[in-house]
Amino acid sequence: MANLVLGYKQSTFPTKLAFISGIGLLIFTILPFVLGDFQLSLMSKLLLFGALAISLDLVWGFTGILSFAHGVFFTLGGYASAYYLKLNLSAASNTYGGELPDFMVWNGLETLPWFIAPLKYFPVALFATVAVPALFAYVIGYFIFRSKVSGVYITIITLAISSALTTFFVSQQAYTGGTNGITDISRLSFWGNDVPPIGLYFLILIYTAFVLAISWWLTQSNFGLILRSINENEKRIQFLGYDVAQYKIFIWTVSAALAGMAGGLFVPLNRFISPVYLAVAFGTQVVIWVAIGGRGTLIGPLLAALLLGQVQNYAEKVTQDWQLVIGVLLLVVVLFVPNGLMSLLPKRFSLANLSKPKPIAPRSQSGQKA
Amino acid sequence: MLDSALSFISSSFFLLAQEEAVEEAAAGFDYAALINQALNGIGIVGILLLTGLGLAITFGVMRIINLAHGEFIMLGAYVTFLMQDLFKMDLLMTIPFAFIGTAIVGALIEITIIRRLYGRPLETLLATWGLSIVIQGVVKLIFTAELKYVRSPSYLSGTIPLGADGAIAISYYRLFIICMALALLGLTMFLFYGTSWGRQIRAVTQNRDMAKCLGVNTKLIDMGTFAYGCGLAGVAGAVISALKTVAPPMGQDYLVDAWMVVVTGGVDKLIGILAGSFLIGEANAIIAFILNDPLARVIVLGAVIVLIRYKPEGLFTVQKRT
Repeated sequence: MANLVLGYKQSTFPTKLAFISGIGLLIFTILPFVLGDFQLSLMSKLLLFGALAISLDLVWGFTGILSFAHGVFFTLGGYASAYYLKLNLSAASNTYGGELPDFMVWNGLETLPWFIAPLKYFPVALFATVAVPALFAYVIGYFIFRSKVSGVYITIITLAISSALTTFFVSQQAYTGGTNGITDISRLSFWGNDVPPIGLYFLILIYTAFVLAISWWLTQSNFGLILRSINENEKRIQFLGYDVAQYKIFIWTVSAALAGMAGGLFVPLNRFISPVYLAVAFGTQVVIWVAIGGRGTLIGPLLAALLLGQVQNYAEKVTQDWQLVIGVLLLVVVLFVPNGLMSLLPKRFSLANLSKPKPIAPRSQSGQKA
Repeated sequence: MLDSALSFISSSFFLLAQEEAVEEAAAGFDYAALINQALNGIGIVGILLLTGLGLAITFGVMRIINLAHGEFIMLGAYVTFLMQDLFKMDLLMTIPFAFIGTAIVGALIEITIIRRLYGRPLETLLATWGLSIVIQGVVKLIFTAELKYVRSPSYLSGTIPLGADGAIAISYYRLFIICMALALLGLTMFLFYGTSWGRQIRAVTQNRDMAKCLGVNTKLIDMGTFAYGCGLAGVAGAVISALKTVAPPMGQDYLVDAWMVVVTGGVDKLIGILAGSFLIGEANAIIAFILNDPLARVIVLGAVIVLIRYKPEGLFTVQKRT
């Protein structure tokens, strides 16, 4: 008996997982050298959407909170980074020459509002990109999860938040650029050098890998186990003495921070941000990636975002009605493959299985000594 | 996806605002203007009531998280457009067709999709969202994305002066909307509380298995109720079509609003949605008068969120044993 237990203990390193993720990383490292300019920027975008989908998977797949507000967190981060890039536009390329962004001039603002001005500095902007969505999420989370509000109503609240914020951002033209959002921004640059598209791609790749890794680490830990049990049976976890609300608020905030940073990276790539990304339609897009990819699989939502994005890219050339295809796909997945496309893969390729260390045959002699 | 979203964002999210296009620029505090605004609010109340009523049945009674509700409204509007286009029908005449058309679509959807998902709210939510994309896509294929216009009957245009010098007035169409909404609410309440069909529906929602044991055909009841809720959404679409342009994404505008009404009013009693739509509609109109339209919408939505937080069952619910 002792031998067996020791046998398991000998290796905790998930070899198979490391192997597969290594191959994945290698593919994505080689990819930009093969792809053209258009595909490069498309892949960068889709990787970010993938990171966003993973962040939603943390709260939906693992904790059971379906949120339509992840587009909102993404966009809040995006606005923070857009202000930074807008304010750093050199005076020469600014339409009116001055320090003030063009949309503020159009709307009759004389000076830079105090809450936007500090975003001119990189550390502040970087901090805001993560902190603003996280803080917003924390406030909402604290407000919602400390009450009796149950699953579906939380989803309705997130719908309302998305709708309200869209209206708000569209209406505050002087501060947000209204429907057009923030356009004409400078390129991301460090110490005077513009970051080339390929540099941006690697920045995004590293970030997405980071999101995947930290999400994996979070969900494999004891903490992740508690999250999963909240999803399965909230009452019981409560009776065991865990403060369920605290766990929910924590993962909700972390997820919003991850989504916000993805938004922050999205803006230098996309070269504009607008309330489109705040709207319910974008929020649902994220939900669709997770639903089709497979809840609680982390890698599924990422793959779904990549694949659906590519499908959209090609389908748009053929027909304007590719959205119909997405709708049908979503229906089919919900009705017939409720756990998403990842569940179609053989069990031994699932993340949970891959991450298990391979049991090593017990060696009788060395075991006995210990 | 996002490009199409962009196109409807600019046109939408201000549906309530557009409703008040006749708003006059009031200098200083003008009581006549305030009363006018409150009367405009009545028009909004009517629309909210119409759009919320169908949802009060599909969500309130049947507990289906129906995100395709807006698309049924859109279908009703398209039926009206089609009837006007083909047969030169009067708007009022098209309403029964809008009801029947959307009810049939609703029944088909219940049989093919919703039926498989009872008791799985989150799956239902996703499926109905997929459904809404599909319905929009199909309508776009058939009618193209271009905007359609529906004529409102001439006898419903114009306003009734109420004040001494005509400073206060309410338009016939607003009056028509609110009367229509109230009539439908009355009819629905009669159906639910006064007929054996309604008794069966309530029995099924209270205890499905027991109702089945007592010989109620639960499948038929489910289908009929869902179809009725969809039909009501179709009527809402027919009435709204004269106010707004008819286009595939139009339903999206009403989805969030309908949800807010149902959640505010509570779903235990149908009368709750009258209160819900009255509160939201009038609050919106009055706050819009004091501040402006977008802010009013933001404030009202914020208030509804706070309300859900403290009373998820809605304002007007009976205390139940759990």
